[in-house]
Amino acid sequence: MIQVQNLVKTYPNGTQALKGVSFDVKKGEFLVVIGLSGSGKSTLLRCMNRLHDPSSGTINFEGEEMTALKGKPLRLARSRIGMIFQHFNLVPRKTVMTNVLTGTLARTGIFASIFGRYSAEDKKKAAEYIKIVGLSGKENIRADNLSGGQQQRVAIARALMQNPKVLLADEPVASLDPATSHSVMQYLKKVNEELGVTVICNLHFLSLVRQYASRVIALKGGKMIYEGQPLDIDEQWFQTIYGEDAVEVTIN
Amino acid sequence: MSTENTLPAKPAPSLGNPKKVISALAIDTFLWCYAVLVTQKVIWEKLIMNVRYPEFTWNQPLTALGIGFAISLLLFFTPLSLGRAFRGLYQLDENESSLGKPFAIWGYIIILMTFIAGLHMSQVSMREFLSDSGLTGARRIFTALFNPNWNILEDALFAAVETIYMAFIATAFAIPVAFLMGFFAARNLMNANRLLFAIYSLTRFVLNMSRSIEPLVWAIIFSVWVGIGPFSGMLALMLHSVASLAKLYSEQIESIGEGPIEAMTATGAHPIQVIWYGVVPQIVLPYLSYTIYRWDINVRMATVIGLVGGGGIGTMLMQYQGLAKWNEVGLLVIVIASIVWFMDWASSKIREAIK
Repeated sequence: MIQVQNLVKTYPNGTQALKGVSFDVKKGEFLVVIGLSGSGKSTLLRCMNRLHDPSSGTINFEGEEMTALKGKPLRLARSRIGMIFQHFNLVPRKTVMTNVLTGTLARTGIFASIFGRYSAEDKKKAAEYIKIVGLSGKENIRADNLSGGQQQRVAIARALMQNPKVLLADEPVASLDPATSHSVMQYLKKVNEELGVTVICNLHFLSLVRQYASRVIALKGGKMIYEGQPLDIDEQWFQTIYGEDAVEVTIN
Repeated sequence: MSTENTLPAKPAPSLGNPKKVISALAIDTFLWCYAVLVTQKVIWEKLIMNVRYPEFTWNQPLTALGIGFAISLLLFFTPLSLGRAFRGLYQLDENESSLGKPFAIWGYIIILMTFIAGLHMSQVSMREFLSDSGLTGARRIFTALFNPNWNILEDALFAAVETIYMAFIATAFAIPVAFLMGFFAARNLMNANRLLFAIYSLTRFVLNMSRSIEPLVWAIIFSVWVGIGPFSGMLALMLHSVASLAKLYSEQIESIGEGPIEAMTATGAHPIQVIWYGVVPQIVLPYLSYTIYRWDINVRMATVIGLVGGGGIGTMLMQYQGLAKWNEVGLLVIVIASIVWFMDWASSKIREAIK
């Protein structure tokens, strides 16, 4: 479904975040990317929907070359890739409903979206997704008044409004407490299994990786050093990925 | 200024960074040149010789520059060099205060000389301040001011209303222009490519230029252009408001969180939609607050601008002051003070309410 070939990203300040990463993503899988902070995980995800422009390499998304797109075709391609973030990145001072509806911006006209005129169909769908992420009744509450876990669920609903084929999740639970982390991961799993959306997710905690991932890749210093099943990561691999002195921390 | 006591470590033979040495020498030369000039022109000619019309030729500052350069070369390696202190070329004990060092004392002397010259230049004179005729005049004005002529209250209020509306229209016209320019002057939105960055630099340049010219000057220009009256005052205020509002707006845009912008871009939104949903909700409240504050400032400025023919209560004040009708001026001062006080109070209340 997605083929990433030889992806290199060098930032203008000279930092080489990715040094030639290649991997395939299969339809319907729950791919988890692990690695230390600064290993290039976030850059990798942001290159896949072109929030960052890769320096070289190719990203083939359902037969379309992402790196060659510009303007409207790029925006349409982006709309088929949902994304959620560590800090949720909801629009402040706007209601849950408005936030979820921003997922339809790519197919809503500029003026219609400025005046808040969304199609009845989209509104109905938004209400449905709000219900799916367990926030029904909170449609008209301001998003910044919700708890972290609830905000992340709004972000999931917003991403689902795009009818995405893929969902990129950049450390979706890194700023949440353990219990909320599991609840958000459960929703991602539900999206993956019930709606058939392929998920690519950056994670820190191996315990979460073992529980939710169907496949794992590990990055270190901008290079891919591991690819395989989550349960195959043994003590030795763990130390290769995270360094000699690393001790595994679990959340239950 | 003894140079012998508690010397800091003797300068090492190696001078250190040549750039720093040159700039230190330049600072020393400038300070000595200044000291020589002040001593000659103010302390010697004016205060000691009491020359009434001192002559000025360009030779004097040039000679002073030469003398200054010679002295600073001579004293560069003594602890009297302030330039070396400014450029950090002394090897000083960090824990020891440098306020008592020779170069610091030399600094105090320069400040003292500037103070003496300043007193002389601004013609500070206790004799004038407390002279009999002066005090009588002051008494006359204050008596008049404290007995305002209430008969012109109607006219004064009408002029005050003119001033407030003038300020309001100036603010209202400034908002859309400043709103658009604010986006163009925000670095974080304009650094995507060279063209955008060029627009950013140009906008910044235009804003800085028009802001650095006082509205008082603009009012004079416009009163020649469109004639004396509220219209010219309004134009002057508007121009200044555009410049300062656009700067405040753009600074607000520069301080917003990137997160929502990133999220909106990721949904596949058009750049205009990204701004509408990713930027605008983060800036509405500060914008409102700045705008109301600006109106408040404009009302106050409108009074001053009236003095040079910008219309409203300021022009009225200027006319009565020209005729030396101090009772009328007294009333106008009361009206102006009440407006300023009221606007100040109202704008702070409104800004508090929308927080």
